[in-house]
Amino acid sequence: MSVADDSALYPSGLPVCARRCEKILQTYIAVTRIACPGSTWRRDLGRRPQDFVVNPFLACYAEEYVEAHKIEEKARGKDMEDGNIRQKVRDIYGFIQDNLYLNRPDMRVGEESFNSALLFSLLTALNRGKELIIGEPGLGKTTSAEYVAAMTYQLPLGLIWASEVSGHPEQTEEKIIGRPDLGRLNQGEEVVVWSYLAQLPIKIVDEINRLPETKQSMILDGVDRGNWGYLNDVIINEEYCLFATANYQDRGTNTLIAPLIDRFDVIVESRHPGTNLALVIGMKDRYENVLRSPVYERDFQEILVEPRDYQEKMKRIEDLCDRFGDHMEKEFSVKMLSQGERKEIRDCVQEIPLDLDANAFLRTVIAELSFCFKYGQKRSDEHCEEGCHYTGFLCHHIKNCISNRFPMSVRTYSQSLAWLKGDEGVGIEHIKTVLPYTLAHRLQWKEDYIAQKQGDTRRDPFQIYLAKEMVNEVYRRYNEQSRHIKNALAVAYQALSGKDLEPIEGDHPIYAEIKQDLEEVR
Amino acid sequence: MMERKENKYDPLLKERWAKVRKKHFFPELPDPSISESMDRVALEIKSKQITLSQSFMEEAARHIPMEKVIEALLDHGVAHYTFCPWDFHTHLTLYQEAKKVLKDKQMAQKSTDYFMDVVADTHCFKEKDTPISDLYRHMDRGILDEAIHALYQRIWGKDLNVKGHEEISRRLSRIPYLDRKPWPESIHRFSKIIQGLLESEEKYGTLNQPNTMGQNDFGRYSCQEMDQGLKEFAMSTGDPGEFKEVVKDLEDELKEAGYASHGNMGLGPGSPLDADALFYMKLAENYALPIKKTPIEKSGSLYPFSHSPWELGKPFRDIDPWTSFGKVMPGITQIWERREGETFGEEEGTPNCIVVIDSSGSMINPRQHLSYAVLGAACASDAYLRNDATVAVYNFSHARSGDRQILDYTRQRTKIYQTICHYFGGGTKLDIRDIESLQQPSRPDIFIITDMQITNLEDLIGYINGLENRVTAVHIGDNTHVRQFKRSMGIRKNISIYSVQKKEDIPRIVLGKIREYFRSVS
Amino acid sequence: MINPFEDFKEYPYKKKEIPLDHIVRAKERVMGQIVEGYVKLVEEEVKDLVWLVENSRVFKAYSSALRTIQQVDYDSDDIEELCLEIDKGGKIPYLISGPAGIYLSALCNNAKEERIHLRLHELKRTFHFLGYRLPEGKTLVLEGDVGDFIGAGLSGGKLIVKGSTGNWAGAGMMDGELFINEHTGQNTGGWMSGGEIHIDGRIRGIAKTILGGRIYQRGKLILPHDMTARE
Repeated sequence: MSVADDSALYPSGLPVCARRCEKILQTYIAVTRIACPGSTWRRDLGRRPQDFVVNPFLACYAEEYVEAHKIEEKARGKDMEDGNIRQKVRDIYGFIQDNLYLNRPDMRVGEESFNSALLFSLLTALNRGKELIIGEPGLGKTTSAEYVAAMTYQLPLGLIWASEVSGHPEQTEEKIIGRPDLGRLNQGEEVVVWSYLAQLPIKIVDEINRLPETKQSMILDGVDRGNWGYLNDVIINEEYCLFATANYQDRGTNTLIAPLIDRFDVIVESRHPGTNLALVIGMKDRYENVLRSPVYERDFQEILVEPRDYQEKMKRIEDLCDRFGDHMEKEFSVKMLSQGERKEIRDCVQEIPLDLDANAFLRTVIAELSFCFKYGQKRSDEHCEEGCHYTGFLCHHIKNCISNRFPMSVRTYSQSLAWLKGDEGVGIEHIKTVLPYTLAHRLQWKEDYIAQKQGDTRRDPFQIYLAKEMVNEVYRRYNEQSRHIKNALAVAYQALSGKDLEPIEGDHPIYAEIKQDLEEVR
Repeated sequence: MMERKENKYDPLLKERWAKVRKKHFFPELPDPSISESMDRVALEIKSKQITLSQSFMEEAARHIPMEKVIEALLDHGVAHYTFCPWDFHTHLTLYQEAKKVLKDKQMAQKSTDYFMDVVADTHCFKEKDTPISDLYRHMDRGILDEAIHALYQRIWGKDLNVKGHEEISRRLSRIPYLDRKPWPESIHRFSKIIQGLLESEEKYGTLNQPNTMGQNDFGRYSCQEMDQGLKEFAMSTGDPGEFKEVVKDLEDELKEAGYASHGNMGLGPGSPLDADALFYMKLAENYALPIKKTPIEKSGSLYPFSHSPWELGKPFRDIDPWTSFGKVMPGITQIWERREGETFGEEEGTPNCIVVIDSSGSMINPRQHLSYAVLGAACASDAYLRNDATVAVYNFSHARSGDRQILDYTRQRTKIYQTICHYFGGGTKLDIRDIESLQQPSRPDIFIITDMQITNLEDLIGYINGLENRVTAVHIGDNTHVRQFKRSMGIRKNISIYSVQKKEDIPRIVLGKIREYFRSVS
Repeated sequence: MINPFEDFKEYPYKKKEIPLDHIVRAKERVMGQIVEGYVKLVEEEVKDLVWLVENSRVFKAYSSALRTIQQVDYDSDDIEELCLEIDKGGKIPYLISGPAGIYLSALCNNAKEERIHLRLHELKRTFHFLGYRLPEGKTLVLEGDVGDFIGAGLSGGKLIVKGSTGNWAGAGMMDGELFINEHTGQNTGGWMSGGEIHIDGRIRGIAKTILGGRIYQRGKLILPHDMTARE
């Protein structure tokens, strides 16, 4: 074959040595498949190396092809690895559900059933989230978080207990974050002894609503930024997540004020497991827990109290975590996640795209929660007018405007959920699943709406129930006009890119919002 | 546990269901099933469960592939859930409009069914990629089905193998099926146009045969959905006569769907539904007040609450030596912030309520027209009942002649509403002893709603003047009796008199007063 | 500045339309034009809020209506829908039965179809002057009770009323046939000069001045009397 003929089949050539090297030939064909999808590479697989005519001028590209092949191999391998990690996470979920946190599934995602508290705790641990767990006393709010923390961060349970902060009004910064080294202080040196909470990636705060507001704010600030400061010293967590529990309103509790509660990504309820599972739980020996290991706990504590640079300490902690993880796997067949695996999960999760419907649906939700025809946006101190055209939408039923943290929470959790299910993209199903739990604590409903719904039969706590009802309402409206909304968004893109197009009109806040975006720019 | 018998089409059904779910944005419906015993209709939806008829599927599969048959049927079923009718209120509204035209229950139901089918199928055809048209092309049809399919030919632009019905399909094609807002008007026109065909069906005895594509009965709604729907329907009709007509018509269907024995109604099988009482009960729920929260009181004593940093210049006495590590220096030393303790006040609870309602001839008959007086009384009763109080009712006309009803304190809604709704239409003379018989040591609140044209008004004035109870008198209009009443009341803090010009203001006034009363307890 | 709609860059924003969309849109456009025409007519004709039945005034209103509807591409379904709209009163602020009937008559006379069927039995109000100047070759069927001056100035067309009429049915008709299934009011056939009126029910009163034409009741000729006598 001549070179000219070659170029039709082989867009670039191989080094001369490739004629004698089957492997590189195969590599070349594999890369050609990627580079030229329409090429006849399939036919070529059967050809002998000496039958190829190579273009020597293009020999320099050989390395590149080999490299491209390696990338492809890596991607294929990555998929497999990803699948393995995913299975591991599912195994962790299954292990906790079957052995440690016995509870009933209370939500469906596709064909699978999950327990919402356990699922969202797992997702929180994986994507550095902040979760608020509510429930009656003694129903496993704190223990569910402890188990998830232990298994996803390879930490023994005793260490996690030691790092927990419990909410009561007398908690001090010194007990929560750190204290001066008293001995050194008496010598005139300011050296901080950091608490376990500040050092470890897992932060569990029990009954956060019993803490004074200043302390709540301090913890949430720390978790938001990963920075913990005391005196003039700072430690920076690379990895962290927060589980906070709260009982329902009772004597002696403060409320979590709106700016603080908004910082939580999700709210879940740790429910009663039902009569039969409750009995099974009651029959278990409360002291038996496979996640405890006094030996390792002591080792961890020794490292944590060492007066060492924080980064160095954390390296040693991670090593010990890996050893603990191996020990658990060998002794008890309990698999845990390493730091590398958690990072890989986060990298994978971030790459998962939202499909157009999920994207448009989320925009529709945000529009209904932030829009105000009369005042430009929702504000807590401004009241709806009687007879407003948008009375049928959610903006009429809520007092406050949704924050920008909300779409971040939705995105992260829906991506994590899609990853867990092995889906290639985030669809409406994932968004719908996650929405109520990311919204329930962020919405302040008007009294008359609450009054209308208070008497409804439900299974969820009232906040979450209202959020689910709300999601269903918006979902219905989106279902009716999804095409129109997507068209409106597409036209808006074109208009903003310079095309002379008028925004599409419609009877929903999203159209008004799009119009406003276009007006501001024009 | 009974195992569901496996059907040979289950794998195909599962595969198609996944596709249909995704198409319709993941509706919250359980997995569908196939029935071998259903042969009269193609599909059935009960409690959101879609069941397909195997015999219908096999018959249809002689013309089109089985997977298309299944997908088309599922699309149809899901569209009824996601688009039309969507909820029970919409269903009732459509039936009501159809009945106005057709005057016959069966015809109205049939017309409603067909209208909903047209809307759901057209939505599916336009918005989702569906093989419904292929299914219809080969379906066995009655006269009405033919006319509807002729309509589909026209509005979808697809050949469905139907000849004739030019005029009727032309007229039907002008209706905007996909626009939800004018649905009531649309079904009105729809029913008028197909009235002739329905009358033919009645003549030939085929009217009570179910639609091939399944009947849209009430089995698909839960009791709560029906409750909510009735509430919205009461609000939207605003007329007890219209409400009653529809509810009475559909009483059997409501009972069959399990509504009558649910919650608020408390009726067993065989008991008739009191549509008038139901109307006011549901309407009052739209004006609900939120449930009163347990009051929190300040205890009057200061307690250490939380720590804050000590600054130079602040007093020493509040320094906490323990958290300050014995040091007095800025940055280390902490002081106690003290706050007044909060505790739950004595749970006063809500006082009981006596509702005194005038049903003399000068008042509107609540069973024929919307009576805001009765609605106000209903709202008051609802508010007290929701806050765990009991309500007594004194309904009077010419009490001495026996035109009165006294209901002792109870929490049974049905009885309360039935007593409130009772209309005597006679003279206006109450008996003070009747009200006195309902008095309690705890001094219940008293709501009086009347037009003040009471013949023994002086007795009432004298009685009320001597009361310690909180009394709210709402009267309609202004006349000499009213002026006399107001003059005679004097300035009493426990008595409030409201004169309404617009009857529509009554519920608002009543609820406003109750809200004040409840707040004064918190 | 970032474009917040970037995600929808590739989305093809063509609307999927089905024939229903075109039909409904066309209908709304035509109805809009027709309604606009009616409102304009009423505003022109009823400046003083009083509209008297005078021959010249009626003719003027009719000519004005004809001019308005000349350019509108409507059909018989649109005419029926206009009746419903006028009766409902939503889009149309006022119903004045005289001009309404004249406008409807103009629409019927000018329609493409030769046979027009209007179902009026559900309407709350009655229209007057329906069938005004119905020309030859046109058939107008009215289902339900109608008002006064039905078939006034009938000019060769066929008008069938499946219900009762008010007063002055067939007034001034010149040619054509008027069939009334039920009853008529006073002054039936007043000033008619030709054509035939067939009534199946009661006649409350026949007009004193009749210049020509025939009136039948239940198939029997009752006017002119001399012909009746001869027959």
